[in-house]
Amino acid sequence: MSSSLALGTRYLRVIWTPLVLSTVIAITWAVVEYASSVTLEEDAMRLFLWMMLVLAWQLFSGNSGVMSFGHIAFMAAGAYFGALLTMSPTLKETSFADMPNFLASWIHPAQLGLLEATAAAGGLAAVLAAIFGIPVARLAGVAAAIATLAILVIMNTFIVQTPSLTGGSDVLVGVPREATPGVVAIALMVTIFAVYAFKQSRHGLRLRASRENEEAAQSVAVNVALERYIAFVIAGLISGIAGALYAHYFTGFAPPDFYFGLTFIVIAMLVVGGMHSVAGAVVGTYFLTVVYLTARRGEVDGVFGVETPSGTANLLVAVALLLALIVRPAGITAGREVPWPGALRRGGAVAASAAGTVPQEVKDALAAGSVRSEAGPATSEVGSEGSSRTPSADRR
Amino acid sequence: VIAAINFQVGVDAVSYGALFAVMALGLALLFGVMRLMNFAYGELIMVGGFTMFYTRDLGALPMVLITIAAVVVVAVLMELIAFRPVRHAEPLTLLITSFAVSFGLQQAAFMTVARGRQKGVEPYPWLTDQHHIAGLRLSNLDVLTLLVAGVLLVGMTMLLRRTTIGMQLRASTEDYQMAQLVGIRGNRVISFAFAITGLLAAAVCILFVLRTGSLSAQMGVTPLLIAFVGGAIGGLGSLTGAALGGFTLGVLVNTIQSSLPVDLSGYTLMFAFLFVIGVLVIAPNGLLELGRRVWSAGTARVAVLRRRAA
Repeated sequence: MSSSLALGTRYLRVIWTPLVLSTVIAITWAVVEYASSVTLEEDAMRLFLWMMLVLAWQLFSGNSGVMSFGHIAFMAAGAYFGALLTMSPTLKETSFADMPNFLASWIHPAQLGLLEATAAAGGLAAVLAAIFGIPVARLAGVAAAIATLAILVIMNTFIVQTPSLTGGSDVLVGVPREATPGVVAIALMVTIFAVYAFKQSRHGLRLRASRENEEAAQSVAVNVALERYIAFVIAGLISGIAGALYAHYFTGFAPPDFYFGLTFIVIAMLVVGGMHSVAGAVVGTYFLTVVYLTARRGEVDGVFGVETPSGTANLLVAVALLLALIVRPAGITAGREVPWPGALRRGGAVAASAAGTVPQEVKDALAAGSVRSEAGPATSEVGSEGSSRTPSADRR
Repeated sequence: VIAAINFQVGVDAVSYGALFAVMALGLALLFGVMRLMNFAYGELIMVGGFTMFYTRDLGALPMVLITIAAVVVVAVLMELIAFRPVRHAEPLTLLITSFAVSFGLQQAAFMTVARGRQKGVEPYPWLTDQHHIAGLRLSNLDVLTLLVAGVLLVGMTMLLRRTTIGMQLRASTEDYQMAQLVGIRGNRVISFAFAITGLLAAAVCILFVLRTGSLSAQMGVTPLLIAFVGGAIGGLGSLTGAALGGFTLGVLVNTIQSSLPVDLSGYTLMFAFLFVIGVLVIAPNGLLELGRRVWSAGTARVAVLRRRAA
């Protein structure tokens, strides 16, 4: 076997997980384009945008172990700011007549394209995340979770109470529909690569080390607060971009769209999929999106002639999350990425030496639900990804 | 006149704060025993609210009793079904679990009892009767709120200090594993803790619904948020701290709301939560613990100075 082939295999191996995941996205996109059904397209867009958020969450919460309840706030900021930059000037002059002059002077005439507006929205979200991240990064555990929750409430209150900038509690309408499934799919694929690259980067590694054992990470000179801060801001950027894309596809939105409901769905998707891996984020999003949207169809059209009451979809998501937490706390993927196929593994020494592979039998055993005891040498790895540890004395 | 208005604001704020002190106490109890930040606590209030709606024609006493019973049962069931299986998980997993329970109960209510037209419980007319004592308006409801909150706080203290189960509970709060080792039955203590939070939630619920009157599937969210962060301010690790924190935030929210100009008063929650973030950064374990640390550092310093002087 030539060395160039071995080298190619090695490179392929490095990008294997994001490559496979992006391929799945591309296939979904292709199906949507081919089917040309409006409802299917809307469902796929929901899936894509949810997935971007879940990926942002994976990047911050999955790597750091600090749960965020707040990134939807940055999404909201991105959605409103992006919308303000692309709406037609005449509409803005009537809808936002009360806007303070120092903002109105440049926001009213602004009429950017989707790309510039999305970039600006992501930028604003990142700046906000950089401000709010300063206190959050210094906290850990439950205190950090409460602080992020506070961010969500602050943003929601601000949006509702400031109609001169946001339209207040009314639905903001008239955003041009400029985002297409293609644009969103590409943005999503880039996000997948970026989030995976972050996880593998030195920052991601330090952050994951601090998640497993904060004191040990500090003892090898990891600046935990700084690493958390970096991840927090990047996740804010991704959320802001997702918000702008959301605004330019669904064209109308209101403050409750960016509150606890969405936060809950995103967290559920991440936890059900497995919050320690990018593959988990993608798998969880697909799984719960199918469950959720099927149930939503049931609420509107009925399933087998029975119309399920509205709220069923959300209830199902809650039940799925509870079941996952009880039965499989590490999520569907249990923190693993996309496995390198067995047929290629026999090919060379490169494959065998790579870290993070679990023997196929173990995977089968795990998938069948019979865990841990007969799993052999790989158990320690699987176990370390699990989140069901007994609280130890130092946590108290 | 201004002083009288300020006092008036003070009375409203205090009865509001007392309500949140009771709520934060319930949260702190669970946090102490099993490191659980219970989002679903707000839904206990919602369950109580709808129980009141369906029993409102039975008269005041049966309504109150049935509501308390229903909320306690739901609280205990919640523990059995959702929290017992994840008992030994990390605090983060518990937090997410309670988030799921909260959201699930909201949706279940949304699908069943909260459907259709807006429901509400009409407050009894005698509750809104006002007395004028020393120039202050004081409604029966304010008096009742203060009374119930006071009784509950004192009762809880007695329960925790004087009874066996209370001592077991406190022992488990201090060190759960050690308590188990000396023979305290964990399941019983935790069920008991949930029952107590149910009782507290029922009391809060009744007083809250009599005040506001309206019911919805999401009615528990805002009071929960305030008690949640109030508890965090005071320190959920200690019951006193949490109750004080809940009280402070309740008073604060009410005072901000009435003292800000009208076009800013909508931002109350925003200011309150900015304050919370600030407190968390200065004292992640709550202000009470910070106060204790400052106090002990201060007394140590004084001791050193005295020794030097001598």
